Formats: sequence, C-alpha cells, structure tokens
Amino acid sequence: MTATTRRPAAPRGARERRWTVALVIVVAMVWSVSGLNVTLDRLLGAPGDAWAILRQMVPPAFARVHERGAVGKVFESVYIAWIGTVIGALLSLPLAFLAAHNVAPVWIRVPIRQLFNAIRAVPELILAVILIPITGLGPWAGTLAIGIHSIGTLGKWATESIESIDSGPIEAVESTGGRWVSNMRWAVFPQVMSTISSYWLFRFEINVRASAVLGMIGAGGVGSELVSHLVFRDFPAASAVLVLTVGVVLTIDTISAAVRRRIITGSVGKSEPSRSAEALSDLTGIKQR
Amino acid sequence: MTPTPGQSNRPVRPRLRTRTVSIAAALTAFTVFAAREVGFDPSTFWEVWSNPLWEKFWPIPWDWVFDSGNVLQPFVETFQIATISTILGCGLALPVSFAMSSLTAPNRPTYLVSRAVMNVVRAVPDLFWAKLMVTAIGIGAFAGSWALTIFSLAVMVKLFSETVDGADPGPLEAARAAGGRHAPALRTGILPTVFPDYVAHSLYVFELNVRASVVLGLVGAGGIGRVLEAQRQFFRFDRVLGMLVIIFVVVWIIEQVSVSLRKRLI
Repeated sequence: MTATTRRPAAPRGARERRWTVALVIVVAMVWSVSGLNVTLDRLLGAPGDAWAILRQMVPPAFARVHERGAVGKVFESVYIAWIGTVIGALLSLPLAFLAAHNVAPVWIRVPIRQLFNAIRAVPELILAVILIPITGLGPWAGTLAIGIHSIGTLGKWATESIESIDSGPIEAVESTGGRWVSNMRWAVFPQVMSTISSYWLFRFEINVRASAVLGMIGAGGVGSELVSHLVFRDFPAASAVLVLTVGVVLTIDTISAAVRRRIITGSVGKSEPSRSAEALSDLTGIKQR
Repeated sequence: MTPTPGQSNRPVRPRLRTRTVSIAAALTAFTVFAAREVGFDPSTFWEVWSNPLWEKFWPIPWDWVFDSGNVLQPFVETFQIATISTILGCGLALPVSFAMSSLTAPNRPTYLVSRAVMNVVRAVPDLFWAKLMVTAIGIGAFAGSWALTIFSLAVMVKLFSETVDGADPGPLEAARAAGGRHAPALRTGILPTVFPDYVAHSLYVFELNVRASVVLGLVGAGGIGRVLEAQRQFFRFDRVLGMLVIIFVVVWIIEQVSVSLRKRLI
C-alpha cells in the first residue's frame, strides 16, 4: 500500500459520454433557435419589452373589470370545468372497468385503451376548435371539449388503479358464484373508488386552468376577457383579470387538495391545527418544518 | 358464536349520516346550477351526427397535408419551440428546484420566496403566458418559446423539487461534514442520486411542451397551431382533420419513446 491518497478513478467513458450529451444539447439549441427567426436586438429587447408591460400592469384595475362582469366570467370557467369533469368522470368510469387487464377480456380492453390514448393525444383547444362550428360559440363548446378530453386521462388513471387492486376480493366473489357485474360492484368498486374520486378532483383542478384557456378561442369563460383587454393593450385591466384567475385557481387547488387528502387518508388521527397547516402549505407551496 | 335462528347473519348496513346526505345534496345542486350556466344541452350528442358540417371534414386532402410547405415546416417550428423551451426551462429549473427544497435551500428567505413565486407562476395557464408574451414581444415563435420556457420551468420545479425533498440526506451531511461549501456539497451529495429523475422529468416536460406548442399558434405564438387556426377560419375542416391525424401520430410516437426511456432511467 502506498501512502499517497488516491481518488477513485472515474468510470471509463464517463467523460466522453458527458461531452456527447453536452454536444447534443448545444446542437439541439442551435437548431431550435435557428428556426425562431431571433435577431440579436429582439433577444436583447425582449426582457425590456416584458418589463415595460409588467410596469403598466400595476396597479390592476379591479373596479373596471368588475363592471364588465369579469368575476362572472371567472365563475363561468369554474362551472365549465366542473361540468366537464362530471361528464368525463361519468363516461370514463364504466369504460375503465372494461379497460383493466385484470377484470376485462382482451377483445374489449385493447380498443378501449386505444380510445383513451387517442382522446389524450388531442388537446382540449383542438377539440374546442372542432366543436365550436357544431355547438356554436359559448360555454357549452368548452364544456364538451373538456368533458371529452377528461375521458382520456381519467380513464387511463382509473384503469391503472383498477389494475393495482388486491385480487383477493375478486376471487372471493367468484367463489360464491357472482357474475361479472356483481364482481365489479362488490370486489373492485370499493377498493378503487377512493383513489378514483381523488383523481376526479385532481382533474377538476387541471380543468379549471384548461377552461380559462378555452375562453381565448371563444369557448366560454375568463379567457375571452384577458384576450380582449390585451388586444386593446389595456394592461391594468388584463392584470386584474389575471389576478382574479390566479386567485380562483389557487383557492380551488387548496380546497381540492384538502378534500383529496381527506379522501385518501381518512379523518382518523388528524388534529384540527395540522389540517389547517396543510391547507396553508397547499396555498402557498411552503411546507412547514 | 352461532347465528340465532330466524335472524339473518348479514352485517347491518351503516346508516346514512346527515352530513353525507347534505354534502351529496349540495354537490348535486351545484352541478345542476353549473349545468344550467354552461348551457348543458344533451341534444348535441345526437344532433351532432345530422350536422351538415361533417361533410366538410372529408375526404382528407393528403397531398395538401404532405406538401412540405404547408404542414411540415410549421411542424418543425413546433418542435423547435418545444426543444428550446425544454432545454432552457429544465436548465433553469435545476438551481431553482434546489432553492425550493427545504433539504437543499441555501437559506430560509430564498426558500420562501422561490416557493411562493413558483406557486403563482404555475397558477397561470400556459396559453395565458403565450398571449402575454405575444402582446409583449410580438407575434411568432419567439414569444411562444418564452411562454413555454416559463411554463416548463414552473412544472419542472414542482416535479423535481419534490424529488429533491425525498432524496437521501446522508451523502449531503457527509459532504457538509467534510467541509464542503453549499454548491459543491449539493453537487456531490445530492445531484448524483436525483439526476436520473431529473432527466426523466425533463423528458416528461418535453412531452408536455410538444403538446402545448401544438396549440400555441391559436393565440399567435407560432408553430403548427398557426396553420390550424388559419384553415379553421377558412372552414377547411378536411385540412384541419388531416393535420390532426399527423399531430396525433407524432405525439403518440414521442410519448412511446419518452415513456420507454423514462422506464429505463428510473
């Protein structure tokens, strides 16, 4: 043994691999920037432009947007998200039972899984674009778009939670001669319903943001307000709409996260202060130590 | 215990509690109210099929769709937006996530401020950012990439800071005990254990960005959505449908590749 301290040698090829990755990232960056027709003065000017607008946004003109009914529009977004979630939940639940590999035969499972995948691949906005000529402009187009899109994700999540259940109760129902439907009702449903309903709430949180966006193309909700203020470069009003939206989104996230936690962990062994502390940390994103 | 004769052995069904009933009633009432507000109209489901508009969706003009100038070039632009914003957003997310985790935050104020700011940034929907950026710095892919960079940063810090929260604090303590300053201690004590998750989350964010950048064009922020919007305004739904098919196939392929890569990483 020598007296010199020796560092362990780096694994062979690590250096080369690191350089290759760095090179790939740099090439990808150069390639992408080349397509964005960015000139140097645009690049340097962008933060200044953004800052100029940000300064005009303070203070937000709450009184003016309130007169125009922006608060009602924000709530319309919430209604759209809620009904969209209800539609998605009701339609996806039976389909999920037909898509899970432990309870459904292969001939029905594969097409339904592909249906979920197909729906998930089409963004809500594109669905709304297709639906608007059929339903006309307004909240119903957005609701349908969100409802249809929710079927995809909710169905996938519900399928996954059905697939991860304990098979004991299924065997128990089968051994008593239960049919498929009673098997689902008494063996599968009680096991998965708490998880699935918390997924529904989670999807509702996502849908509130999505429905706010849908208004931008005229499918109802607060997005149209933001667009019209920005088009007229009325930045104080636009920022008031933004603040309202963010407030509602954060409130709904907080309530929904608290309810989800209650559904999953139950009410046992939780004191009142710890629950409000958890709600506070959901709202601010700051965890208590 | 033997069952008493003449009495069923079934357990008694729990009684409905007043609270359960009132919550159910309130939710139903809210649903009915909301349905009226959004103009819930089930007739759409069957009237949809007799709509004369469907003829406009068919047949798909494949020669128009595959003509390189029409769809391919905007599509490449979509990818460029998604790529640059993933790289920038995830690159920025690395230090911010470390500031946002109570395990690795340099000090309490940094932790509080970064968490609060990122929470608000995440509450703004992605296309709102796009519209804001389009207004601020002009129509085009440049604004779109800014918006998606902010959006990916917000998503990535959420995902990755939670990974850092759950990392094993042992190596970090060892590095600090050996006298390491903050940054080197993180570099050697935490980064190696969480790096596979970082790459996996980045791939996921790239997936999200591809999906998001498809629709950016609807608000004027570049990419394939610009063509979609234009064709929609001309009522060329056959072309829209053709583009949707292409988008569907490409998004699906990317998802499959990314999912299999992520499975290998974790």
